[in-house]
Amino acid sequence: MKQSPKEIKITARMQPGVITLSGFLGEDDRHYHEIIADDEKTLAAYGFSPEVIADRLEYFTNASFENFTGVEFIENLYQVETEVTRGKLPCPFSHAGLYRKTVTTLTNTKTGVTIRWSGLNIHLIREHHFFEGKGSTFRLEPELLIKTIF
Amino acid sequence: MFLQIISDIGATALISVILAVILVIAQRYLNDYGICKININKKREVSVKGGSTLLNSLSDQQIYLASACGGKGSCGACKCQVLTGGGPLLPTEKPLLTVKEQQDNFRLACQIKVKTDININIPESIFNIRKYKAQITEILDYTYDIKGITFKLLEPVKIDFKAGQYVQLETQPYGKVKQKTMRAYSISSKPEDTDSIQLIVRLVPEGICTTWVHKYLKVGDEVRFTGPYGDFFIRDTDADMIFIAGGSGKAPIKSILEHLQVVGTTRKMMYFFGARTEHDLYLTDEFKAFEKVFPDFQYVPVLSRCDDGSKWCARTGYIMPYLKDAIKDPKKTEAYMCGSPGMLDACQKELLALGVPQDKIYYDSFA
Repeated sequence: MKQSPKEIKITARMQPGVITLSGFLGEDDRHYHEIIADDEKTLAAYGFSPEVIADRLEYFTNASFENFTGVEFIENLYQVETEVTRGKLPCPFSHAGLYRKTVTTLTNTKTGVTIRWSGLNIHLIREHHFFEGKGSTFRLEPELLIKTIF
Repeated sequence: MFLQIISDIGATALISVILAVILVIAQRYLNDYGICKININKKREVSVKGGSTLLNSLSDQQIYLASACGGKGSCGACKCQVLTGGGPLLPTEKPLLTVKEQQDNFRLACQIKVKTDININIPESIFNIRKYKAQITEILDYTYDIKGITFKLLEPVKIDFKAGQYVQLETQPYGKVKQKTMRAYSISSKPEDTDSIQLIVRLVPEGICTTWVHKYLKVGDEVRFTGPYGDFFIRDTDADMIFIAGGSGKAPIKSILEHLQVVGTTRKMMYFFGARTEHDLYLTDEFKAFEKVFPDFQYVPVLSRCDDGSKWCARTGYIMPYLKDAIKDPKKTEAYMCGSPGMLDACQKELLALGVPQDKIYYDSFA
């Protein structure tokens, strides 16, 4: 598939070692447009929008942000911990701004499922509907995500 | 018919070559900005070949502005005041500059190109920044994810820095990482050790530089770094000092205390070190030993998770509740913090609530 210069630049920024160690595409050989389109279909099937997902993830991150040394219990159901490290990351889509290096780990105590996401994940989902490629370190499977955080 | 096709292809190729040559010649002359002068702080002038970024042009003159992203316009560390000659503000700069900074003509040196004579203001301390070649002489495992690495300077052989400042380490390509990267780390050794520096580096998940340091570097390897940078150093006053750190944030505080041990001080000092468990504590005996070195110093580890039988369970939870008892005169107290931004945010709020003036709360600018 022929790519525009902008798409080539974005794909290059998603490669390992450019913004993050492992990149954003994992072992997924689909174009990022396809990854986004497929995940949007999954979300639509469950009746959720990327913005609602991003808001929910941000809610958990913010609620646990200042508890920098331990686990926060939220809504009597979720164990949430946010670790913040120094430095900031840019968006691979060259979106304006920088995003703090936060990693939020959430366990749904009812299902026992644990998922984690970064501050950049929240931005990528809200602004670009991008959940990262399969096999990527911070890939969030939309179906599992919905079943875990709602 | 066949000859006609060959003839057409030949003509097209010839036209393409001619156009390419015209483009190359045009580029050479149209983009030839000649020699441009960079006037710095109205005191010093350097001549550079125009066309390169201000960051690279200054670097070629061995004037090293900070840059954690290697000039990609994503970190904002290379901000400097461009009084004239910088051209209009670019869309790539706006997200990283506050409205006040834009009004004050601050720009990102990595984004603007030197195409004409240019007048800039940069901190005088930048002239002390050098590019160093160094060799690793020691790697210590402080915890399961924190290492202390000592670098002997090879060229130049001496460094002049203030306790609390940082350097920018340059990674080399490794594994899947195909390009060099710069990352900032505080110096943890004292400034009196002029022929070497120590850095304390915590392994960050997905961290490009910390993975390189932890998994690839070994004793004997040569590395490059620039520095020293930053204004995180103790002020020469008689105010009480509160130190707050967590994880690898212990590095600049270690440098400061080791320096104070050399020069001596009678100032009242208290150091809170936040950690999750006892396994995250390190250099504890060394820091407790400072209590016997200084007349009024206390080292206080605060654990958020206290394992049974740990001798460090005296203070648990957050650091914030313990600050109240530690601060006797808020207006005459300075706070020096280095660690996770979450911890810094929370502690800063508490310090302000207790009456410590905002301008007496210092922390690493690259945090």
